[in-house]
Amino acid sequence: MKKYEAIIILNPNLSSKVDSFIKDFEKLLKANTFNIKKMEDIGRRQLSYSINNHNKGHYLIFNIEGNAENIIDIENKIKYNESIIRHLFISVKEHDGEDSQLLIDSRNKKSESEDEESNVKNEVKEKPADDDEKKNEEEIVSKEESIEDISSDSIEEDSKDE
Amino acid sequence: MSKYELPKKFDYKNVSLLKQFITETGKIIPARVTGVSASNQRKLTRYIKIARFLALIPYTDMHK
Repeated sequence: MKKYEAIIILNPNLSSKVDSFIKDFEKLLKANTFNIKKMEDIGRRQLSYSINNHNKGHYLIFNIEGNAENIIDIENKIKYNESIIRHLFISVKEHDGEDSQLLIDSRNKKSESEDEESNVKNEVKEKPADDDEKKNEEEIVSKEESIEDISSDSIEEDSKDE
Repeated sequence: MSKYELPKKFDYKNVSLLKQFITETGKIIPARVTGVSASNQRKLTRYIKIARFLALIPYTDMHK
C-alpha cells in the first residue's frame, strides 16, 4: 500500500458536472484497490498559463491509498478523458489530515469576492465571473489597465535592482 | 539580504509562499540571495516545479 496525492484539473466549462465526475472517479479508484482518505474540491481557479486554450481550471485534490501497480491503469484511463485538462499523482510519506493551503486560499477568495460584489464593483476585480459576456468586456479593460500598472512597477523594481 | 522564514511543513500548495522565491520573470531565486538553507532550497525547487506544472505559478512572464 502506498499513499498518493492525486491532483486533477477539470475543464472549467464542466464545473456543473463535477459531482458526477467525482462519483465516476471514486468508482474508478475503488475498482483499482484505491481508498479515498480525503477529497478537496478547490473549485475554479485562474491558471497561470493557458492549457488547451483554457484560462481557468477546476481543481480537485484526492488523498488516496492503494497498490502502486494499479496507478498505471488509472492513469491510462484518465489520459483519454477529455474533461481532464491536467492530472498529477504524487507519492507522499504521510497524509496530513488538515485542509491544504489551496483550499483555504480559495475559501478566503470566495468570501472576499462576495464582499466586493456587495460593495459595488471595486477598481480591479481579482476574481470576476466569466459567465457573463458583459463582465468579460469590463474584465479586458481592467486587465489592460493592470498590465500597464505591472509594467511600470516592474521597470521601477528593475531599476532598484541595478 | 533579508532572511526568509520558512514553516516546518510546506508543499506545492502554498502558492503565496512559493511566489516569494521566484522572480517576476518566474525564475527560481538562488539560495545565496534568499539565505534559505540547502535542504529547504531543494524542497523549494521541487515544489516550485510541481506548482508550475499544475499552472499554480507561471514558468515565465512570456505566457500568452
